[in-house]
Amino acid sequence: MNDRPQRLDTAIIGGGVLGASLAGFLAAGGARVCVVDGGHGGGSTANAGSLHVQLQSRFLRKYPDKVSALERNLHLYPKAVAFWKQLETDLGTDFDFHMTGGLMVAENQEQFEFLEHKSQRESRLGLDVQLLGRDELEKVAPYLGPAIFGAELCRQEGKVNPLLAHAALKDWGTGMGVTFLPETFVGTIERSGSGFALATPNRAFQADRVILAAGGGNKDLARSLGFNLPVASEPLHMNITEPTEPLIGHLVQHADRPITLKQFSTGHVVIGGGWPAHLREKDAFPSVELASIIGNTTLAQHIIPEIAPLRLIRTWAGINATMHGHPILGQFSTMPGVYAAVSGDAGFTLGPFSARLLADVILGYPASEDMTEFSPDLYTI
Amino acid sequence: MSTSDFVDIEFNGRSVTARKGETVASALIGAGFRVLRTSENGANRGIFCGMGVCQDCLVEIDGKSNLRACMTKIDGPISVRRQQSGRRTARYTLARPAIAVQDVQVEIPEILVIGAGPAGLSAAMAARRSGAGVKVLDERSNAGGQFYKQVTVSGPDFPPADQQHRDGATLFEKCVDLDVQFEFETTVWGGFENREFIASNRAGTVRYNPQRVIIATGAYERAHVVPGWTLPGVMTTGAAQTLWRSSRRLAGQRVVVAGNGPLNLQLATELTDGGAEVVALVEAARPNRLGAVVDVGRMFLSSREFLIQGIGFIRRLKAAGVNLLNDHVVAGIEATSSGLRVKLTGSNQRTSLQTLEFDTDVVCLGYGFEPSNELARAVGCEQDYDPVRQELKLRLDDVGGTTVQSVYAVGDCAGMGGAMVALSQGEIAGYAAGQSLGYPLSNDHRSRLGMARRTMARQRRFQRALWRIYEYPRVNLEHAKPETAFCRCEEVSVGSVLSALDNGCVSTGEVKRRTRLGMGRCQGRYCVPVLQHIMANRAGTTVDSNSGFAPRVPVKPVAIEDLLRSMSNE
Ligand SMILES: Cc1cc2nc3c(=O)[nH]c(=O)nc-3n(C[C@H](O)[C@H](O)[C@H](O)COP(=O)(O)OP(=O)(O)OC[C@H]3O[C@@H](n4cnc5c(N)ncnc54)[C@H](O)[C@@H]3O)c2cc1C
Ligand SMILES: Cc1cc2nc3c(=O)[nH]c(=O)nc-3n(C[C@H](O)[C@H](O)[C@H](O)COP(=O)(O)OP(=O)(O)OC[C@H]3O[C@@H](n4cnc5c(N)ncnc54)[C@H](O)[C@@H]3O)c2cc1C
Ligand code: FES
Repeated sequence: MNDRPQRLDTAIIGGGVLGASLAGFLAAGGARVCVVDGGHGGGSTANAGSLHVQLQSRFLRKYPDKVSALERNLHLYPKAVAFWKQLETDLGTDFDFHMTGGLMVAENQEQFEFLEHKSQRESRLGLDVQLLGRDELEKVAPYLGPAIFGAELCRQEGKVNPLLAHAALKDWGTGMGVTFLPETFVGTIERSGSGFALATPNRAFQADRVILAAGGGNKDLARSLGFNLPVASEPLHMNITEPTEPLIGHLVQHADRPITLKQFSTGHVVIGGGWPAHLREKDAFPSVELASIIGNTTLAQHIIPEIAPLRLIRTWAGINATMHGHPILGQFSTMPGVYAAVSGDAGFTLGPFSARLLADVILGYPASEDMTEFSPDLYTI
Repeated sequence: MSTSDFVDIEFNGRSVTARKGETVASALIGAGFRVLRTSENGANRGIFCGMGVCQDCLVEIDGKSNLRACMTKIDGPISVRRQQSGRRTARYTLARPAIAVQDVQVEIPEILVIGAGPAGLSAAMAARRSGAGVKVLDERSNAGGQFYKQVTVSGPDFPPADQQHRDGATLFEKCVDLDVQFEFETTVWGGFENREFIASNRAGTVRYNPQRVIIATGAYERAHVVPGWTLPGVMTTGAAQTLWRSSRRLAGQRVVVAGNGPLNLQLATELTDGGAEVVALVEAARPNRLGAVVDVGRMFLSSREFLIQGIGFIRRLKAAGVNLLNDHVVAGIEATSSGLRVKLTGSNQRTSLQTLEFDTDVVCLGYGFEPSNELARAVGCEQDYDPVRQELKLRLDDVGGTTVQSVYAVGDCAGMGGAMVALSQGEIAGYAAGQSLGYPLSNDHRSRLGMARRTMARQRRFQRALWRIYEYPRVNLEHAKPETAFCRCEEVSVGSVLSALDNGCVSTGEVKRRTRLGMGRCQGRYCVPVLQHIMANRAGTTVDSNSGFAPRVPVKPVAIEDLLRSMSNE
């Protein structure tokens, strides 16, 4: 135990996609940055790597009251996907970014009509979407099985390999002098002198500027400062099969059932889409449930029968940070020096782009988006 | 020789005469085919573990890919193809409906035993004797595990079953007579915190919600990460032993057996007796050193028959002119035009010894064991570090109970103790599980239990003395080169893992996410224990129980289509 707090200029709490990208952008803007991460179960290294653009049917079903907020901010998603591509180019690495286009499939007329209605709204909001009947689908996605009646194609969707992306972001930051402190869980944050004291189990820090980028962990951190951020932790389930030849060309979702399905360039088929997991009783470690394994993977083969003989080699669980309808990005005006960073639904898709928006605020660059709705001030207790 | 003992199978369009009852791996080895698949990066692979763990023997059989040649029994004509990474063979065009977990059949045995080796069989027998209903699952096609694996082929030219085989068969028959229920070729691929298990076989999938579970899943050989350890023809001691003891097949004509511990001695003797040329038996330790006399004495007192058997092995090997080398380890293997060349170096204590090279067809590596405790860990059982055996061990009470209520672990999965200890542990846990369900123990049961306890104590003394004789520090990466494969499945090199560590990866999980080490089909069984040790060594600590990967299901790969079928419906 070291009693003297270590001094930091800018402390980012949480080194997920948002915290790690932000660290890079701030360092590139000349800031001295330290990323402090508790090291457990963040969504950024556990997620499916889907780059979502079209309205997800899961969201529409689960949070009907938040749909209008999401629609107001839908324009961010294609920008966020394009930003991923830009980032890959800027970093000079390959994290398996592919704008494959995404299909949301329907199994019957009713579901197809749901997609029809949805695509009309999305078209009006500026998305590049198109409805495909069975015949057109045969040409675009011959791998889909006979159960599929039609689909909505959104050409702006795609995928990234989250593990490659995360490693690349960390290397990039490290190269610019960012310090990453792993396995360091911040218990509380308190105002102290002109800055803030961060308490961790093995040492204390004193930081001039603190950015809350801790995913679901932001809730408790904000509370210790007297704010009530509406983020929640949601443990989710993932499955991956052994590799096979190239088969699935798109990001695939379903109009009425929770699933995302895609193939990495390594050949592995990744199956997710929001099936539940839970936090283990003894240590709160995210753990999988048999019901999700059975339900999620057998649904996948129903949509794409060719994957039925593939063996599942692993399942895992990660913690999603839910925030419905829009991001929270900005400074708490009642507590200058403290910033909130939550990227919202499909937070992996939005991660780097959200980080760019917040970095611009912090560095005093001109804003490229209207950030009013993202202000954390709306959640002061 | 009766023709019904043989069957013609096809391998890549060529005809191979197989022995009915042997595995696909054994038939192909017998016919001289060693390359069973090509890896994602195009490297040739063949059988390595011979027991369903490494997943390096995957082949296509009758249009179905990703089948383990070492676990697939031949009982009729089949067409086998060398597996090319990722190829899909059959067309799947039927959209079968998705199912929910409730659609999977549930069984609620009083006692579920996972693994039918010595530990599982004796546990099943004791539990059944106490009065409980017992179901045993094993992924092999017959009972016996590693120690009692049965001869599965028949023909007058093959050496008949020996005493060890017969003891196993007797134990199994006793269980059958007691009406213990067995399900073979059934892989238990998941365990959950609510003590639910899930298993699949050719017929389908079943959930098990037993009142008590006894995990007896055995052990597998530790990795020996040296250049060339992934070459076809390099396999574990256990793999070569299974080929011989089950199928009466020699892994090759010329064999080098190398490692640490007495099992290598037994294999070398069996192969010599079976007609192979054992080029050298290479032991890392120096068991004939002076200090060993005391331990040999202890062994004589605790288990005379095994000591005598061991001395007999050495005599037979000497008489056959086998080169018996102590104090040497395998430092590398390379492919030559006619087979393999193995390079030995003086072991850690004796680096002054010179480097030796031998030409051979097969290299058997037996450098210790790792417990197969992934199911126990998946249901939440705690482990502790054992400094003597340099491994993590499940924390157990004196009847084999784990830290999770109603879950017992016995035999090698609870720490390597040998077959005799496994038998006693199984018996003790079997009675304890029965008793905990309210079945009272009779005087007969009590006297059997007393005997099991005494035998276990005696056999543990024997084992301790034996392992002191064979004491040798575990080999981690001492002989590896930067380009050596560390993770066999994902073909991750030693160099890339070391550089990830140099770049600040602080946990095995982080190394995995960085390098893909441990992300393949074997679930990190070979690479992760080595990684745990080198990370602990670098940090100047010992391996701690949280340093491995989080236990994840499936603990063995399972096909999605196997989930769709429920065993009862077929
Ligand atoms: C299984 C799963 C699949 C998903 N699939 C997709 C998808 O396909 N597409 C998509 O767009 N989104 C997806 N998401 C959502 C996405 O992963 C998250 O929204 C995104 O990763 C959030 O990034 P983040 O950096 O804000 O937070 P996180 O990635 O959660 O990172 C937060 C970090 O903060 C650390 N932390 C928390 N509390 C503290 C503390 N007190 N002190 C120190 N450190 C702390 C954590 O250890 C963690 O590393 C998925 C999520 C899950 C769980
Ligand atoms: C490779 C090897 C070779 C050995 N050779 C010898 C020898 O020559 N002489 C000697 O004295 N001792 C030998 N031993 C040691 C001796 O075999 C063991 O001490 C003894 O067999 C331990 O018995 P067990 O019941 O604990 O495990 P095992 O005999 O290993 O039995 C475990 C059983 O569990 C099954 N199983 C494992 N996981 C699953 C799962 N997920 N689903 C379904 N079934 C599963 C396996 O198929 C196996 O049948 C060897 C051990 C190994 C690992
Ligand atoms: S040799 Fe078949 S799985 Fe290892």
